[in-house]
Amino acid sequence: MDSALFIEMEGAQFTKTGQAACGDDMRFLTVEKENRHLAALSDGLGSGVKAHVLATMTTSMAIKFLESNVPTLEAAEIIMDSLPVCEVRKIGYATFSLFDFRLGGRAKVTEMGNPGYIHLRGTEEIAPLRDETVVSAHWPDREVRECEADFRPGDRIIMCSDGVTQAGLGQRRDMKFGWRRSGVLAFARRKVEAEPGISAKDLSEAIAREALNLAPGGCKDDISCVVAYLRRPRVMRVLTGPPYHREHDADYARQALLGVDHTVVCGGTTANILERELGVKVRVSLADMRSSGGLPPAGTMDGVGIATEGILTLSRVLSALEEMRAPDREPAAVKAILERMMRHDRIEFVIGTKVNESHQDPGIPQDLELRRSVVRRMAQALERNYRKNVIINFY
Amino acid sequence: MEKIKVEICCGTACYLLGAEKLMNIEDMLPEECRGKVEIEARTCLDLCERENLGGAPYVRFNGSEIMDRATPERVISRILELVEGIG
Repeated sequence: MDSALFIEMEGAQFTKTGQAACGDDMRFLTVEKENRHLAALSDGLGSGVKAHVLATMTTSMAIKFLESNVPTLEAAEIIMDSLPVCEVRKIGYATFSLFDFRLGGRAKVTEMGNPGYIHLRGTEEIAPLRDETVVSAHWPDREVRECEADFRPGDRIIMCSDGVTQAGLGQRRDMKFGWRRSGVLAFARRKVEAEPGISAKDLSEAIAREALNLAPGGCKDDISCVVAYLRRPRVMRVLTGPPYHREHDADYARQALLGVDHTVVCGGTTANILERELGVKVRVSLADMRSSGGLPPAGTMDGVGIATEGILTLSRVLSALEEMRAPDREPAAVKAILERMMRHDRIEFVIGTKVNESHQDPGIPQDLELRRSVVRRMAQALERNYRKNVIINFY
Repeated sequence: MEKIKVEICCGTACYLLGAEKLMNIEDMLPEECRGKVEIEARTCLDLCERENLGGAPYVRFNGSEIMDRATPERVISRILELVEGIG
């Protein structure tokens, strides 16, 4: 991917109250070799498990068709032909919104049955360059809208299910027709105005949560919101392990500050090198000591970021990334690292390769994984599960 | 009176070999001692590769005195000695 830009695609979802499964589905795919980024959002007919099956079938087929460049109308027809027919309603139906963006090119948004997407540049709404509606000969009651958008750096595209635009409908006197697309647009503008750099993750969550808040008696329909945001990547660097050659310590320590938005230092010896070379100090609060959740506590390093223990903490971060566990219940140091990883787009690992002799002590009761293998697996999990751009450098 | 400084090493080796039990040491001190002691967690005291020491976990008192193979009992009894002005 072009190192100057990054596309963040994220979504947030709430399930209709009382249902075991969400009847909407969101799916994302990055086609590395084509520098292409795809997102699909579908709302299955009805709710619960049946709707969930329709929606997941739709997103998985749609994203495959998009990737293979199958013409949209043909893809929509194959999807509609394939969906199981509902016994009650005698139709098989799921809506969709598809986003297809090639870095350096234009974005294509294709919709069938979902609320119209929103394209924001700052707080201004941008109209599509091309906007066409086609009707399937095979399914004359289904309209497919194809749009081409001039998607520039700093722009956002918002797609949502009707659970968002119809939130509040029938529950609030001031919203006879629900929140509507205009309400979502006004809310998104206010959010962007208040926080111009708001991430796709935070904006999608804010929209979904607001839709939920508009339904005081509980969520009447599945709520889903997907946001794509094109911007300069937020870079986080993880420094771990002392360099193999001591004379590289100064250069290694400088990596904590050069061209980076946030740095995490993992390892006591590593933190000591930074303290010595950069003249900064690690501070660990007493409260952090008490509630470190079975791992050594994390500290803060002025002007750099946070400092944690090394391999035990990283191994726990690895398992959370591989299993996609939410950060909330993790030990404090792991939570701090995970939350920072989620907020950044590019994660750069700088690994010192010197072997820590104290880890060879036969009294150490656990198998300590090799730093390099833990980081390699973390990189895979970050790319696969979280669509992060990962770089590894050795010292 | 200057507080007694106690630094607990939280490096990997120290933590695995028992420093975890030292994290709540302030709570184990008698009430009257607490205000006289400043306890700090350190990411690493860089002592484990020194050959003349007995092994992790390490605790450092007042910036210079090192205790190896530290346990809560030994650390507390040393703090009490320091508070009383012994040694």
